[in-house]
Amino acid sequence: MGEVNTKDSRLKIAVPKGALYPQSVELFAKAGLDVSGLDDPGRQLVFYNQGVEFYIVRPTDIPVFVSYGGVDCAICGKDSLVEAALEVVELADLGYGACRFVVAEPEQALGAAEDAYRRLGIMRIATKYPRITKEYYDREGVQVEIVKMHGNIELAPLCGMAERIVDITATGTTLRENNLVIVDEVLQSTARFVGNPASVRIDSRVRGLAEELAVLV
Amino acid sequence: MIPVTPRGFKDILPEEARWRESITMGVQKVLSSWGYAPIETPTLEVLEVLEQGGQLAKMPFRLFDADGALLVLRPDVTLPIARMVASRLEEITKPLRFRYVQSVFREEESLRAQSREFTQIGVESIGLSGAAADAEVILLLVEALKACGLRDFTVAFCTVGVLRDLLDACLRNGEVDDSWRSTVLAACHENNLVAVRRLADDARIDSRHAAALRGLLDVRGGREAIDACRRLVEPLGCVDGLDVLAQTYDIIDQLGAAEHVTVDFSVMSAFDYYTGLVFEAYAPGLGVPLGSGGRYDRMLEAYGTNAPAAGFAFGLERVMHALLEQDAAADVVTDSSVIEEVIIDVSNPIAAFQSAAELRRQGKPAVLVTTREDC
Repeated sequence: MGEVNTKDSRLKIAVPKGALYPQSVELFAKAGLDVSGLDDPGRQLVFYNQGVEFYIVRPTDIPVFVSYGGVDCAICGKDSLVEAALEVVELADLGYGACRFVVAEPEQALGAAEDAYRRLGIMRIATKYPRITKEYYDREGVQVEIVKMHGNIELAPLCGMAERIVDITATGTTLRENNLVIVDEVLQSTARFVGNPASVRIDSRVRGLAEELAVLV
Repeated sequence: MIPVTPRGFKDILPEEARWRESITMGVQKVLSSWGYAPIETPTLEVLEVLEQGGQLAKMPFRLFDADGALLVLRPDVTLPIARMVASRLEEITKPLRFRYVQSVFREEESLRAQSREFTQIGVESIGLSGAAADAEVILLLVEALKACGLRDFTVAFCTVGVLRDLLDACLRNGEVDDSWRSTVLAACHENNLVAVRRLADDARIDSRHAAALRGLLDVRGGREAIDACRRLVEPLGCVDGLDVLAQTYDIIDQLGAAEHVTVDFSVMSAFDYYTGLVFEAYAPGLGVPLGSGGRYDRMLEAYGTNAPAAGFAFGLERVMHALLEQDAAADVVTDSSVIEEVIIDVSNPIAAFQSAAELRRQGKPAVLVTTREDC
C-alpha cells in the first residue's frame, strides 16, 4: 500500500500551553513518546526529541498549526477548535480539561439584559469567542451585538459596557468572585487529539498515536 | 500609493510562469495520450444553474451583472462541465473524456493566508461506470502527478456507498430520523471522528449498526482494508460499492501502481455529490490535499441528462509547493542564457530579422537586440 516513508522524519506535535499542558505531557509520556525537557520547559518552545518534535503553542493557535500542516497532530481544547473553524481531523476525545461555555450576567443587574432586549430589541455580549457566541445566538434566534475582547471580559458587564458575557469556565470561581451569575450553557469542552488532514492519511503514526491515547484516557 | 493586487490574487513572473507552463504541458500530454480532449468553460456562471448540480465548493465570488442576474466566478470545473454536457451534448451515445486547465476562484476569510484564485488541472469521464472506469481515473491521477515530477504521494480512496447504506439501514429500521442521518454526514464531512463515534453511541441505534459506524472511518490500509470493511458491514447487508472498490484496487495493484494508493474510509469529501468512489491525493509536507475526485453518477441527472460520471482535479500551485518540499523542482531550461542574441543594425534591420529567423528554423530561440540595450 502507498505508505509514504516516514522513517527518517520526526513526528511533529503541538502541545497547548496553559491549563491542558501538564496532563498532555503526562499522556504523551504514557504513550511512550520521548518527552525529555517538557516537564520544565522554561522559555524553550521547541524540543527535538527521539522520533518526535514538540512545539509548545498557545491553545487558540493550535488549530492553525495543525490545519496548515505546521505540525502533524496536537492536543487541543474543543473550545479552540470550534472558535477557529479550520480543517483538522478530530481523532479522539481525551476527556480531561473539561470546561463549559456559559452565558453570564451581573447578579445585581439580573434581568437587565432581558429588559434591554425587550425595550431596545438588542443585547450586547462581550466575549473572547465571537464565532461560538454568534453560532449560539443564531441558534437561539436572539439578535445580539457581539464585542470581541481579549481578556478579563467579566469587566464588560460590571461597568455596563455589555449586558452579558459568553465565557469559558471550569469551576465558576472567577464568575462568582465578580458577582456574575450563569444564565445559560452554550457548549461543553474537553481536550481532543487532532491531526492534520494530510498527515492522518499518509503517516500511520498519527492514527496509531490516536488509538493509543484513546485507550490510555 | 503602492499599486497592490486584491488579497489572494497574484502576478506570475517569467521564472514561475515558465515552470507552470512546463508542468502543465507535461500533464496535458499524459491526459491527452489517454484520449482526453481539451475543453474550456466560461469564467462566469449563473449561480442558480450551478447549484442545481450540487453543493458549491466553499464560498464562491458572487456578482450581479447589468441584467440583474446573480453570477458566480467558477469555484470549480466539475459542475460547469456537467452543465455543459447536459446543455450542449444532450444525447450521450458514447463515453466522453475531457481534460482542462482552468483557474478557479473562491472567497476566503481575511488573514488566513489563502489564495482566492488558483489553477485546477483535471479530467471528467462521462458515460462510463464500473471498476475499470474507476481504476482509470485513479491511475490517470497517479500518472498525471508523476508527470508533474512528484515522487512521493498517495491517493487515499474509498467508497461512500458503504456509509450511505449503513445510514439508510438505520433509518429504515426506524432507529433514527433524517436529522440524525444528516448530522452524521456533516460530522464525516468535517473529519470529526469523535462526533461520528458519539452519534453512533445514540441509544436508539441497533448495536451492530453502531459498532459498524464506530469502526468504519478507522478502516485503512491496503487490499486487506477492503476485507476488513467487508467483515464490518457484510452481516448487515450494507455493502454498496464494496465489490467495485475491491476490483478497482486489484486493477491498480496488478498494474503496479499500488505503491501510490491507500484505502482509507475516513476520506469523505466536503462535497455531497459523490455516489461511489471518492479519493484525495496527498504529498508529505504539504498539509493540504493535492487534489481530489470521485464518482458522481447523479450529477448530470440534475441537469436532465442521464449518464454516470467521474473525475478528478488537482491544484497546480499545490503540486508546485509539494515539489519544492521534495526538492524535486526541476529547473526549466528555457532561461535567457540559451537564447541567441542577434544584433540589429538600425540602417539595415531586415538582415537581423532574417538571421534571427534562420536561427529559429534551426530550432534555436533568437532575440533581436540593439547594442544600446546592453547599457
